[in-house]
Amino acid sequence: MTVDRSRVPSVGPDPTFVFPTASRTTLPNGLDVRTIQHRKMPVVSALLLLRCGAASDPAGQAGLASLTAALLDEGTRVRTGLEVSECFGRLGAQFDVDAGMDATMVRLTTLARVAGDGLSLLAELVREPRFDTGAFDRVRALRLDQLAQLREVAPVIADRTFARLLYGRQPYGHLPFGTEGGVRTLARDDIVRFHAQCYRPTLATLIVVGDGSHENLAGMAAEAFASWAGASEASEPVGGHSEVAADPPRLVVVDRPGAVQSELRIGHVAVSRDTPDYFPLLVLNMALGGQFTSRINLNLREDKGYTYGVRSAFDFRRRPGPFLVQTAVETAATSASIREVLDEIRAVRDGRPVTRLELERALTGLTRGYPRGFETAEQVARGLAQVALHGLPDDHFSQFRRCVAAVSVADVAQVARDHLDPGRLSAVIVGDRAAVSAAVAEVGLGPPTAFDLA
Amino acid sequence: MDVPFVKQTLDNGLDVIVHEDHGCPIVAVNIWYHVGSKNERPGRTGFAHLFEHLMFEGSEHHDRGYFHPLQQAGAAVNGSTNADRTNYWEVVPTNALELALWMESDRMGYLLPALTPEKFEHQRDVVLNERRQSYENRPYGMVGMATMAALYPPDHPYHWTTIGSAADLRAAEYDDIRSFFRMFYHPGNASLTLAGDIEASEGIALAKRYFEDIPAGAPVSRVTVEESTLPADTRLVLEDRVERPRLYLAWHAPRLFAPGDAELDVLADVLSNGKASRLYKTLVQELRIATDVSATQWSRELSGVFQIVATAAPGRVLAELDEVITAELGRLQAEGPTLVELERSLAQVEAHFVYRLQTVGGFGGKSDQLNGYNMVVADPGYFDTDLARYCDVTADGVRGVVGRHLTRARRVAVSAVPRGSAHVALPGSVGAMVS
Repeated sequence: MTVDRSRVPSVGPDPTFVFPTASRTTLPNGLDVRTIQHRKMPVVSALLLLRCGAASDPAGQAGLASLTAALLDEGTRVRTGLEVSECFGRLGAQFDVDAGMDATMVRLTTLARVAGDGLSLLAELVREPRFDTGAFDRVRALRLDQLAQLREVAPVIADRTFARLLYGRQPYGHLPFGTEGGVRTLARDDIVRFHAQCYRPTLATLIVVGDGSHENLAGMAAEAFASWAGASEASEPVGGHSEVAADPPRLVVVDRPGAVQSELRIGHVAVSRDTPDYFPLLVLNMALGGQFTSRINLNLREDKGYTYGVRSAFDFRRRPGPFLVQTAVETAATSASIREVLDEIRAVRDGRPVTRLELERALTGLTRGYPRGFETAEQVARGLAQVALHGLPDDHFSQFRRCVAAVSVADVAQVARDHLDPGRLSAVIVGDRAAVSAAVAEVGLGPPTAFDLA
Repeated sequence: MDVPFVKQTLDNGLDVIVHEDHGCPIVAVNIWYHVGSKNERPGRTGFAHLFEHLMFEGSEHHDRGYFHPLQQAGAAVNGSTNADRTNYWEVVPTNALELALWMESDRMGYLLPALTPEKFEHQRDVVLNERRQSYENRPYGMVGMATMAALYPPDHPYHWTTIGSAADLRAAEYDDIRSFFRMFYHPGNASLTLAGDIEASEGIALAKRYFEDIPAGAPVSRVTVEESTLPADTRLVLEDRVERPRLYLAWHAPRLFAPGDAELDVLADVLSNGKASRLYKTLVQELRIATDVSATQWSRELSGVFQIVATAAPGRVLAELDEVITAELGRLQAEGPTLVELERSLAQVEAHFVYRLQTVGGFGGKSDQLNGYNMVVADPGYFDTDLARYCDVTADGVRGVVGRHLTRARRVAVSAVPRGSAHVALPGSVGAMVS
């Protein structure tokens, strides 16, 4: 049969997919345990969500949450760091810790047949880490050295500057990895205190997804974590939020003499995850800059050839996170690129709102692509961690597509007006100041400002 | 490993492989073309990758950009080029499978009528920006080029890296595209895998429907090379915009699946995988003269490279790191790894063979692995044979590869150092030429 090449095939009715729902139990120590049976492979993926991240770093101690997490596998009461590492090796385990802005996640994936051993070790790490002085000194020195190395990584310089610009010295004002100034002040006691405050069963959710029934997975979880008491006298986590800095500078150039590209961040503080506008904002972002076929990428990459790629995002956090556009562009195209981005943001808000066709594309892309994120146990565990962190309904997964599909052109236009504010956009340029300064002064954000990150 | 598949070669030479996995209502569509930067010639490097970009710019019957219909259908889409092969993939909901096959077959069969000099110029700019972003403006980004250029003679297909030189990219000519496409982009030089929620018989039928009309091309002869050896201990220094000196040691090693390849993978594990590994323990934890270390066996079709990379701690020079690394290799050559180390490595290898089977598509998913095995050993079901190589590794085997391959006399050492700090490089290093 000859293929009809006069037009691309249409897409038929969506396949049915039953999204998983977590079973929940609470252990006597208060630990919230959520499990999902995922029988595709003989694998179990566990994720311990601790509701403290870099936003809980005390003033002046940027990096505390992250350094605490980095020290978890450096030894426990009954095992040296070396023994922990050997144990992970023997189990063939994949272990990592990720201190984010709002939460710390400790993740472990193992083959199902050793999942019980893996969970026990995971529990041991969070329950009774050794925080040995020698290990603390070494890991802190390594972190300071990594931070020094990051001084030459343009995307990181841009991210750090952008965070500081938008949030000042507020909790979202530094990256989780910390700052050299912050890490240098940290002592072992700070780690011990932070651990006591934040690593507690009542502030955590344990997620176990994989090849086992709920009873089986929850049983292993209970056995491993039942004896986790947490510090009894600990106060609630430190940090805490106050409102963001008012009126940040609009245009900042961080000099990188001779750089062949300018690393750009453009945006402003936007909304938190609990906004009622979450779904329309997802759709808006897909049309504006969330994927390859979005307006900004088609403009800067496919039409102009200024960049290898550009993306926008609303970073939905527990408190208002940024809306941002990020890219790296050829030095000579710096001001033109900023101008185009600003124009696109203004246009989607005011002059050229998202069309019915764009809406349709964004909706179907989001809804039809959604089941792809449920293929592996680890993906499901990560999805469930977002549900737990943000207190989303238990049926969030199965409701997602319906909520997206309900978004209208008018909704998108409304949230663009409500949450994009061209008058508040700031731009960070990490690039060759001498080469870009004159031209970028003309993009409409005022003269470039020097900005001291220290 | 349980990865059942059906393979059929169509009359035009296209290998079609179908693997059923009904866990999620998605199908991975994955095509490997047996062409990469190894098929380029000196003076025109970077062409295979630049060509990959043009494959996303539309074909005769859909001349409007490749991503639109697919992203709208909920697909993930990407492609990549390396020295050996170029791959293209979509992961689509089952209802968009025919769309993906239509799109892939249209660009395999009908790319040239849609190409224009404008598209070519444009993607050249995009690739030059990719090169700036991923190499030129990234710390240590140019070391790979210096290393490969020193390891292989100028006419060796691995002498240059896949991104190519900027001058060559600028010199690339529009007219070269046609001959490149005709030579390499045809069914006989490709392998198509469908993996996911589909019946094998239906997968074969659909592949036939969309691809069997595409004419066969002229057979592509395999690139062959003389085994190259390094004449001497080669020491280079590269001053870069970096904060810390970093040492890159590289040796010629067996190619993919050749004897010794698995032993070098195990050796890499023993040296640097995890905090209990030998070099991490000595360099980073005990002596604290390095801040990180990694060892990797990069095995490819024509030849492998074994590499050890370590970054100096503040105030340390690279010669100190070199001494410790060399001593550890000497110890392994004399004594081999311990039984415990071997067992640990095997446990990790076995677990990772399972982890790798969790996804049907994307980079490294099952469809990629089936195509990879098919291209290199003509057997998509090579999983068990591959794994068995690691089960057979012995301490003596590891001792042997260290002695045979990792000698200081036949090694490339690149010292990547902060600008103005050439003195912290290994003694006797000469300036590397990269651009």
